[in-house]
Amino acid sequence: MAFKNIRIITDSTCDIPADLLEQHKIGVAPCFINYGGNSYADDGVQLTREQYYKDLRHIRPVPKTSAFPPGIAEQLLDEAFQEAEHVVILCVPAKLSGVYNAFRLGASNFPSEKVTLIDSGQVAMALGWQVLIAAETAEATGDVAQVLDAIKRVRANQRLYAALDTLEYLMHSGRVGWASASIGALLQIKPILDVQDGEVKQYARVRTFKRAFEALVDLAHQQAPLDRLGILHTDNEQGAQDLREALKDIVPENTLILNITPTIGTHIGPGGLGIATVSQSWKA
Amino acid sequence: MAMTRAQFRENGNLICDGYLLKDLAVGGVQWLERNKEQVNQLNVFPVPDGDTGTNMLLTMRGAFGQIADIEEPHVGRLSKAFADGALRHARGNSGVILSQIWAGVARALDGHELLDASSVADACVSAVDWAYRAVEKPVEGTILTVSRDIKDAVVQKTEKQHDLVSILKTMVFAGRSSLRRTPDMLPLLKKAGVVDSGGQGLVFILEGMLRALCGKDISLVDVAVPILGQQAETWQEALVPEDEEGYGYDVQFLMHGRDMDVAKVRTDINAMGWSTLVVGDSNLIKVHVHVHNPAEPLNYAISSGADIDDVVVENMHRQYEQYVQARADREGDVLTETEGVGVITVATGKGMKRLFAQELGAAYVITGGQTMNPSTGDFLAAIDKIPNNDIILLPNNKNVLLSARQAAEQEQHKQVRVVPSATVPQGIAAMFEYVNAANMEPPATLDDTTEMMTETLSQVVTGEITRATRDVEIDGLEVRAGQFIGLIDDVLKVAGNDLTQVARDLLRMADASRFERVTLYYGEGIGESDARAMVAILADSFPDLEFEVISGGQPLYPYIISIE
Repeated sequence: MAFKNIRIITDSTCDIPADLLEQHKIGVAPCFINYGGNSYADDGVQLTREQYYKDLRHIRPVPKTSAFPPGIAEQLLDEAFQEAEHVVILCVPAKLSGVYNAFRLGASNFPSEKVTLIDSGQVAMALGWQVLIAAETAEATGDVAQVLDAIKRVRANQRLYAALDTLEYLMHSGRVGWASASIGALLQIKPILDVQDGEVKQYARVRTFKRAFEALVDLAHQQAPLDRLGILHTDNEQGAQDLREALKDIVPENTLILNITPTIGTHIGPGGLGIATVSQSWKA
Repeated sequence: MAMTRAQFRENGNLICDGYLLKDLAVGGVQWLERNKEQVNQLNVFPVPDGDTGTNMLLTMRGAFGQIADIEEPHVGRLSKAFADGALRHARGNSGVILSQIWAGVARALDGHELLDASSVADACVSAVDWAYRAVEKPVEGTILTVSRDIKDAVVQKTEKQHDLVSILKTMVFAGRSSLRRTPDMLPLLKKAGVVDSGGQGLVFILEGMLRALCGKDISLVDVAVPILGQQAETWQEALVPEDEEGYGYDVQFLMHGRDMDVAKVRTDINAMGWSTLVVGDSNLIKVHVHVHNPAEPLNYAISSGADIDDVVVENMHRQYEQYVQARADREGDVLTETEGVGVITVATGKGMKRLFAQELGAAYVITGGQTMNPSTGDFLAAIDKIPNNDIILLPNNKNVLLSARQAAEQEQHKQVRVVPSATVPQGIAAMFEYVNAANMEPPATLDDTTEMMTETLSQVVTGEITRATRDVEIDGLEVRAGQFIGLIDDVLKVAGNDLTQVARDLLRMADASRFERVTLYYGEGIGESDARAMVAILADSFPDLEFEVISGGQPLYPYIISIE
């Protein structure tokens, strides 16, 4: 079978660092963050993460996020098809966002046999790992079927857990039913989220961040041995470094520490900490 | 020569003399005394005034008083003295019926030097006969039914078995089983969710006698309360008096005279009121009647020419109101439907109860804690009330732990574990873990949940602030009565006159800076603004701590503080 030039396109919730995006020629459609009457593209230019998370503690009402227009998806596909013979689009779950739909509409003017649109069921670097491994597989094999198979196996062997410093932002986001239902709860909690198949579940609720941190360490160890690890935080660099230290017995070499994208961070709130793991078993 | 238990056994447990019978009477009185509050709690018929246990005990004490100082080997004479004492000191409906039971016993045993199986059977038959005759209109599902069922069992048993221990055991078992049937006979009991109080009192007396006969220590053993499982939704409604004028007065007195006609007095008194009990002989009549006008029966007795004595008039309507209030306070319990493992916990204060029931998903919250320790029976009743088969008891107080453990041991049908929380903050920490265990897929098992919850107990430090009730010096800390005192995990650590200062000292002593979060549950008499003002001051001293303020509503403790 002929080697195909395959490109991957994703959205800005994926958290992949710019150098890796460039290396793998991955196209990224930016989501938008809206507050104070303005709309900012989540492209790392209009909003810097450091400044945004400092501001987020004070911006009220809490900012909203929105998908990009289909035109942006169409533009990205146009660019990709300058060289590519096939495009795989991996995006944030349709259950949580309008991104999937924007891609679907944007792709409607392209021949369907050349575009594969996949709801990744994941967000942040968990989506990022699917995208990166898909790109690596495409470069190595030039085979769409093998790329899709790799994505499927990664998905079955990956986990995303996040400990929130506060439930406030998730309650106001409105995208997660159980969190909205917690409005009016008496006791403050630190929820630990477990994202799977587009569902944001509550793995546990604890009272202190120390307990949440310990839970993340446990959860990461349950997934070892790891092929990939992303340590995610929202303006909590120290927490991320501490977590890396606590996981030093299992961290893979290519571990990424990421101050996550404002599109996701808006729903998490500042001070959060998370892990996006891919177990070595995905290769089997 | 007085018969001891050893001699009783040498005689094959077949005969008992007056000395031993007196020992049994002591056992009956003591056991009733120990359980009188339980009997009071059951009291809803005929008037829910919560004093059946007290009245029966006063009757029994009066009866025993008559034999306390005598050495009487003759069973017949001893019984007569006992019955006379009971008649003289009988109080309330159940007390009077009880006195008639003893009168019947004494009549049957008249002339008997020793007690044996056939005389016990005769005594039971006579006792039941007298008890039924004492009441104008016998009602089933009461002490009358229980006594009759006991009699039937004894008569049958003594046909083949002459061992007095076995016979007394038969009486206790027949009594207990009859008691369980009383709610089926008397709808009011069923509605109120209780068994008959007088019947329960009689069973306690027999149990005490059995314990004495078997040589068991009466003073230390606890027993379960046989309150029924199905709690009435509307026990308050069930107890509203049918009579618009209310429950009226309970009038009791003795008539001393000559050639009095008991039957005529009974008829006349009965015409004045209800729940009439008129017993005695031509020289001495005990009158008990419920009326709206207490003067009427008293005037009747005096104008009949009799001397009256031991006059007692009680306002039953007021007693009823007090009973309803007391029970309502106890019944502030909260039941919440939950699936899987259910937690029964203990809390006091509106906010605390709400927290456990609504926020944290406890299946049942028993009202109580430091000032009102729930009993083993309270736990057993709660276990019965919730539909869950896997149950965790969370006592939240070290004085309640033992009752919880006993309940877990005694429960026969459901799986019950105890998570030994010693304080409310420990209980809340454990409930957080309970929610996590329940949300696991699949939900954690009973034992795993218990383990997870127990592990959290050590992760929280508890501070409590209350007032000293007396002057005291502990470990060099001098405390004056009325001062605020601060306890860390139940140990007195700080004292002072200023609440905020005591709270700050307490956090320092607890080394709170090493922790992350401090939650203040403010109690009765403290407003949210008071609590917030205090937190503002505390936050200055502990800038890195997260503070949280929750309304607990608990009495006696202005603040319960969780440090975690």
